[in-house]
This record gives sequence, structure tokens and C-alpha cells, in this order.
Amino acid sequence: MGLRDYIIRRILLLIPVMFGVVILIFGLIQLIPVNARVAVFVASGNPKELRPEVIQGLIHEHGLDQPVWVQFTDWLNQMLHGNFGWSEVHNSQVLQDLIIRAPATAEIVIISAPLIIFIGIFLGVISATHRDKPVDHISRVLSILGTSLPSFFFGVILSSIFIAQLRWTTSGRLNFVLEGQLLVDRSQGLYKSYTGFLLIDTLLNGRYNYFVDALAHLILPSVVLVFIQTAVLVRVTRSSMLESLSKTYIVAARAKGLSNKEVVNKHARKNALIPVVTLSGLMVGGMMTGLIITETIFRFPGLGSWAAQSARLFDIPVVVAYAMFSAIVFVLANLIVDILYAYLDPRIRLG
Amino acid sequence: METENIVEIKDLYLNFYTYDGVVKALDGVTLNIKKNEILGLVGETGCGKSVTSLSALAIVIPPGNIEKGQIVFHASNKNFDILSLDEKDLTKLRGRYISMIFQEPRAALNPVYTVGEQVAEIYFHHRKEEMINKVLTELEEDLKKASGLKRSIYKRDLSLYKKMLENPKSLSLRIYSKIPILRRFQNRMKKVAKKEIIELLKLLNIADPPRVVDMYPHELSGGMAQRVVIAMAIACNPYMLIADEPTTSLDVTVEAQILYQIKELQKKFNTSILYVTHDLGVVAEICDRVAVMYAGSVVELADVMTFFKNPTHPYAQSLLESIPRPGKKFVSIPGTVPSLVNPPKGCRFYDRCKYALEMCPTTKPKLLEVEKGHYVACHLYGE
Amino acid sequence: MSTKKGRFAELKKSMQPRIKEFKFTMSRVRKSPLSLAGLAIVLFNVCIALLAPVIAPPTQYDPFMIPRDEKLGWRYEPTGPSSTHLFGTTSLQVDVFYGCIWGTRFAFILGIEILAVIVIIGVGLGIIAGYYGGVIDEIIMRFTDIILAFPSLILAMAFVAALSRSGWTVLNAVILSIILVGWPGYARLLRSETLRVKSEDYVEAARASGASDLRIMAKHILPNSVYSMIIVLSLDFGTIVLTAAALSFLGLGAPPGYADWGRLIYDSVSWSSSGFRYWWTFTFPGIFIVLFVLGWNLLGDALRDVLDPLYRRK
Repeated sequence: MGLRDYIIRRILLLIPVMFGVVILIFGLIQLIPVNARVAVFVASGNPKELRPEVIQGLIHEHGLDQPVWVQFTDWLNQMLHGNFGWSEVHNSQVLQDLIIRAPATAEIVIISAPLIIFIGIFLGVISATHRDKPVDHISRVLSILGTSLPSFFFGVILSSIFIAQLRWTTSGRLNFVLEGQLLVDRSQGLYKSYTGFLLIDTLLNGRYNYFVDALAHLILPSVVLVFIQTAVLVRVTRSSMLESLSKTYIVAARAKGLSNKEVVNKHARKNALIPVVTLSGLMVGGMMTGLIITETIFRFPGLGSWAAQSARLFDIPVVVAYAMFSAIVFVLANLIVDILYAYLDPRIRLG
Repeated sequence: METENIVEIKDLYLNFYTYDGVVKALDGVTLNIKKNEILGLVGETGCGKSVTSLSALAIVIPPGNIEKGQIVFHASNKNFDILSLDEKDLTKLRGRYISMIFQEPRAALNPVYTVGEQVAEIYFHHRKEEMINKVLTELEEDLKKASGLKRSIYKRDLSLYKKMLENPKSLSLRIYSKIPILRRFQNRMKKVAKKEIIELLKLLNIADPPRVVDMYPHELSGGMAQRVVIAMAIACNPYMLIADEPTTSLDVTVEAQILYQIKELQKKFNTSILYVTHDLGVVAEICDRVAVMYAGSVVELADVMTFFKNPTHPYAQSLLESIPRPGKKFVSIPGTVPSLVNPPKGCRFYDRCKYALEMCPTTKPKLLEVEKGHYVACHLYGE
Repeated sequence: MSTKKGRFAELKKSMQPRIKEFKFTMSRVRKSPLSLAGLAIVLFNVCIALLAPVIAPPTQYDPFMIPRDEKLGWRYEPTGPSSTHLFGTTSLQVDVFYGCIWGTRFAFILGIEILAVIVIIGVGLGIIAGYYGGVIDEIIMRFTDIILAFPSLILAMAFVAALSRSGWTVLNAVILSIILVGWPGYARLLRSETLRVKSEDYVEAARASGASDLRIMAKHILPNSVYSMIIVLSLDFGTIVLTAAALSFLGLGAPPGYADWGRLIYDSVSWSSSGFRYWWTFTFPGIFIVLFVLGWNLLGDALRDVLDPLYRRK
């Protein structure tokens, strides 16, 4: 079948799923009474402050008083034009907010993801190759703990220790003072926000102390995320590696005279990593979920806290937008993982 | 000291430490494989024949542990005490002096690497110098004819390969091996290896070797996969080959081909073969001598003719009797193999034996020579 | 045999192999320390849940509303552990001990409610999809695909928000949302188990002897999928409670003053910014959660090691 055909097939299969996703979200929107639903369609202006006649006008305009499919097509149309509604809670355009807040979340992810992958795989492999030795026991205990420890509890504990008690850092992206200064400087044109990524922008603007501060603020949220996700990864890698090591071709490789190191690294590991790669796709979903909680605890102004706050206050346009965003990211991640899987395992590739 | 044995296993005891208790898998296994012979090792599933064969390479699968015993390997004029060698020496010995082929050929091959890559492992591990020298000769030839950019590339390759011979752990070599584009210098060696591999595969009567070299194990048929595994095993012309039920999972016709192939190779290269099987038919066809194992020890050891004409141990007799023949009534051995967690103190075949004597359940019979070259472990023929 | 006694004897005889299997399983469980620990923790939690009215007698109409200490009044600041309040109090003098104990009970009730519905829907649809195949299978699988395209907490959050906005009580919305997000997993599992069992010879035999579809599904497919289902169930119990707690923590769950661990931690967040000063507000509920989920995780792991048919007979 070849890799190319496999990729094309997988992408084609995506389409009905994405369509279904959209329909599901639409169904969700339909649950809300009509008057409240308007917010999803409003392009500007807080629906709470609009006069009843204006609201009625909007209802009519977007077909909210007409059959379902009219609403649906209108809604799709709105989204394609970048109108994801207006957030009552934040009093701003949903799409705009998403774009503004995305870099903060991305920073956490970019720092955490490589750590999770490297530490997780490393510990998992070591755990399997040194079975029942101290290293194995320690990492197993840690990983059981990690999967049982709710991220919010862990986060609250870390927050109370490091932020409240020891005062090593504060919540948010930057120190209160520095943040204020940054806002002032930006409005005066002394600070240019090139990417929205603090770690990059601060360096580009030559503000090294800001860079250090931003990094310090990223540590705690990352620790929470990394600890919990790594726990899952270690378990899966370990069991996959153990299974791989029990296969006949491992004995055969040893019988060929290959050193233990070669057998483990070259033969066992490559096979073991295949299911691990598959799991990593799901982990992306786990990270997004974890971020909601982590950002809330550390008051980190990213997408996660945005979603959490909006959900709590029942701000539907934001919740809907976030749900669709997560779905798209999740589906894409799984697609990449499937392709990677086919690339690594010739049995899938060649049928 | 010239002996006629190539490998001697003396009094091997092996236990498996499992959840349900200590499984005393090998209970004093003694046997010897002579030079240039094919020794069949028969027994039912679970009698310990595979474990014994793996032990000859000092490969013990956890949770197993060799408790006692000695395995001596006589090669040219040196003797090796296999069980006391360290890992480094063992890696030099395995695959080169003693090789092994397995029951499920496609399971013995790593599914994510091609045939070529896996056979090349043998060459790069055991015959590296040979390969490098071949590359060096080739490079020097090319260097004479080259000019300009090619010339400098060849010069650099030449120095790299020379370094491989002299200082394989050098830093520059390691760097070159890791970085993608610089890695290309290894292509020459791969090409040389590929040529050798194709010749090797031809020896095993594999059709269209250049195509097979780039195939993955799951694309091969059972017979072809087994030929590849055999090819890997004989690549370095080993003194001894351990064959662990290599034809059990193959079709009968393919089995016949592989058996023929093995016999031919044995004759050509004078390799000794330890052939593990549960099929007495195969034993009759290719083996010179046969050892019968039951529940962890050797109960009879004789040359094939004598064995089939005059099986002495009660278990061996029952085995031969139970071979179904048209017209004959179906006979089976009553009872089952004893639990190896709590094995009986004496002879392990006692409770199924027709001729059980008083001392059988309490004392274990030793393997004694009853006539020249014919050993039995049974109190009927004991002291 | 049509006599009552005769049929009973027959039933007992047919149960013999199952009893033997069960005894073997139990002996395996007994041998592993981690599985014993898991079992112990789970049983401990069950006891607390059952004995909640005894350990912490309710004082309100709804036993799940945590009693406030009238004597301490309406003071906002939490008070520390004392003889009257073992675990101290949190905002508005809500007793933490009561909250943790009844929280256990609440966790079980919530978990059982949600899991029961998820299992019924998921197993039902899964077996149907696997057994009948074809269009039905495709439709059901598309539904699972769509729901599984979202990270579960996020979709649950969205539904809770939407349902609450349209008049549902938040708690009911949480229950429904978790059910909605949870059933596809079981549908997928049962579908693959059904496909596996379907191809076994004894199903062919049953069909050849004229057994109806329903009978085959009930008598053959279901019992043979039970093992993998049990493993997933015990791991899931912890996950579901954790998800509900997470939602509570985000403010989407139990109302204020309710005996719910997540809610207690939500209330404690503001106090955690004072460092260790009010450590009891989040530490005790947190420990209860960890213990609960840990117990089920250990049990699920142990069950997997023991029940996985591959590992049973060494």
C-alpha cells in the first residue's frame, strides 16, 4: 500500500470525523435557549448590553428562529469569516482572545513536551531493563503516584509551598512589578511584542531579567504537567519494553553474539517504542486537559484558564470555540501519530 | 588435548524462580556432542530440551538460574568453560563458534529491520576486519582513478576506515557515525556486506537474493525465513550449530527441503549439530546419535541405529511404541509428566513406568554405559 | 430432571469450574502485595462510605450538605483542626472532616450511578456493533469516533456549561456529561471483544444449533468479555471520580458547602495563597482523593495481572 497511500487514506477518513465534530458542537449549541445563543453569533458588542430589539434583529438575521439547517449554515458561514461570537465574560471577540492567549499555553507545552517524552521513555526503558531493581521500584512507585495524584491537588500543594510559603515565584507569567512595567513600555512603544512568546520576545527586546523571570514562572506549571504525564508514559513504555524483551528475536539477537547494550537499544527499543508513539497522541489530549487545571491554579493567562473561567460562568461562545480548537488539535495529533506509526512499523506500511 | 567431543554438558542443574514456586527444570543433564556429528535431542514439551540448548550458549531466560554444572566447548586447540565466561567473551563466541536457529523463523527475526540489515549484523559483529579490509582495497583502487572532489572524499573515507581498524572508539569516528550526511561513508561497507550476504543467501538456495535482502520478515514465507535464519547462523562457519525444533512450524514439504539443506551444509562445513526436536521421524532421518530427555534429565543416549533397534529406557520404549502405525492399535503412555515444582525424589518417570522397582521412587538413577556408546539412566540396568 | 432439588444440584455442578477459576484468581490476588494494598484501600473506602452516617452524623435535611459550626458563626476564615473539628473548617466554617467522610460516600454514589449507565449503554452498543457489523457497526463507530475526537474533560466541560445555561442543575449536568463522554470507550472495547469471541468455534457451534442472536450475545459473548471489562471498570472508577472532582475544582460541580472533595479543594484555593497557614483546607480532601484513586488503580492493575488470560497459567 505504501506510506503515501496510507497517509492519503487517513486524511480522507478525517473529513467525516471533523464533520461529525462540528455537528456535535452545533447540537450542543442548540441546547441553549435562543436568547442566550445569540452570543455565539455576535461579532462585536456585549450581548448582555444589547437592547432587546437588537437581539431580536440578530436572532432573525442568523436564522435562530428558523429551521435547524438554516442556523447551521449560517453558523458555519460565520465561523469561516472568523466570527466565533462574543464573550460575555471577557467582553471581547472570541477569536481574538484565542489568538492572544495561545502563545502563553504554547510556551508551557513547548517546554513540557520534550521533557515528558525524554524522561518518560528513558525511565521506562531503564525500568524494564533493570527489572525489580531499585530503579524499577522507584519509578514504578512514582508513576503509580503520578497517575493517582490529581493535577489540581498537586498544583495546589506546589502553589502553597513555592508561591505562598517560600515565595520563590508568583502566579501568572511575570512578576507583578515587571508585568506592569511591560504593559507600560509596550503602550509607549519601548517594548515590541513580536511573537507573543515571552521567552522569545524578552530576548529580542534585550530584557534579560524579564527572560529569567518568565522562565521562573514557567517552572511550576510545567512541573505539574510533566510529573503527571510522565507517570503515564513511564508505565506504558515499561510494559511495552518488557513485552518486547520477551520476544524470540531478542533471544535470537543475543545468540548472534550481540552485546546486551546493542540488543536493548537496537532491537528491543525500536519495537517497544511503536505502541508508545501511539500513546503520545493521546497524551496531547491529556496535556490540553491538564493545562486547563494547571493554568487555573497558577493563574497563568493561557487558553486553559480562559476555558475554565468561561465554563464556570457558562460563557458559551468561548467554551464552544475552545472545544472545537481542542478537537482539531487532538485529531491532528492522532493523524501525525498514525503516520508515524506506519513509518516505524513496516508491517503496517506494507500491509 | 584432542578429544572427539566438541561440547560437553556435565551435570547441569537449572531452576526457574516463579510466582508459583521453584521449578526444577534441569536435574543433572549430562550429554556430549561429538565433532562432525548430528546429535538429536528428543523429549516432550517441557522436558527441558530447549532450556538445555540455550544453556550451551550461556543464555538463561529469566527467571531462570543455573545452579550447578559445567559446559565445556572444545574448539581447535582451546577449551572454553562456557558457564564461567564473562559477557564480553560470550558475545565473541555466540554466532561465530556456536550458532543457533529457532523454531519460529519469522519470530526469530526482528520485524522492523530488513533481512539484509539483520544478516549484516553478523558480518559487522564478527567479521568486521575482513569487511574493512575489503573496503580499503576497493578504496585504494578508486583513489588511483579519481580526481578532484572525489579524490578528497575518498581520502577522507580511507582515513576513516583505517581508523575503524586501529581505533574504533575514536571521537571523530563516533561523530561521523551519528550525523546523517557524514554517515554516508558507511555506505561502502554496507555495499560490500550486501555482496557477501547475497552470496550467502545463494548458498541456502534462496531465490532472487538481491530482492530478498531488502524485504521485511513478515513478507517472507516460513521456509524462506528459516533459510535466512540458517544463513545467519552459518555465516561465520561455526563449529557447532544448535537447532531448536527448526522445522516444527513448517509444512511437511518445506520441512523436507530444510532438513535436506541442513544435512548438505553439515557435510560441506563439518559443523556439529545439536538438533532439538520432538519428532522421532526427523531423528531417524538425519541424526547420527540421539539423546532422550524426560522431565529435566537425559534418560538415554545412543547412536540412532542402536536406539531404534533396541531402546532400553522404559520411557524410550514407550515413546517408540506409541508411534502410530496403520494397523496397529493406538498406544499412549498412561499418566502425565510430574510437576517440576515438587518433583519426585527418585526417578521422575517412576509413576508411569511399567517396570518400577522398589528403589525407583527414592533414588535417582545415574546415566551409565550399558554397552559401548549406549547410556541409560535406569535402575533396571544399574548397579 | 425437573425436580427442584435435581435442578439445583445440576446448577451447582455446572458452577464448579467457575468456582474453581474464582478460587484460583483469589489465590493469585492474595500473593501480590500491591493488589492486596489496592483491595485494602478500596475496602477501607467502602467502609467509610457505608458508615458515614455513623462516623459523622448528618445535621441537615440533605446529608450531603456539610454542617456549619453555628458557634463559630459566619466567620470567613477557616479554623484549624480541633477536638470538635477533626480536620478543621474551611470557608464559612464548613467542617472538613464531615466533608471528607461524606465525600467518600458521594464519590461512590456518583461513580456507581455514572458507571452503571455508561456500562449499559457502552456494552449494549458495543456488542451490537460487533455482532451485527455492517451499517450498524459503521454508524455506532462514527459516533464513538466523534466523541473520542475531543479530550474528554473538555467535551464534558462544554456540555456542563451548555446544559447549565439551559436550566439543568450543575450536578445533574456533570453526571450526564461524564456519561456522554464515557460510553464510547466501553463501546469500543466490547466491540473488539465481540469480534474476537464471534470468531471462536463455540459461537459457530451455538449458531449452528439454532441459538438466537440474543442468546448468543448473552450466554457466550458477554461472559467472555467480562474479564477485560472488569479490569477497565476498576481503573475507570477512579478516573470517573477524578474527572468529577476536577470539574468540581473548576467550579462546575457540587454547589458550595457540598460534601465533595473537588469542591472542598476549590474552596481552598484562595486559602492556599497564604501558604501553609490553612493547610488543612486542601490537604485532607486531597489525601482522600489520592487514596481513593490509588486504591482503584492498584486494584485494576492487580486484576489485570491476574485476570489477563495470557498471564494466568504460567
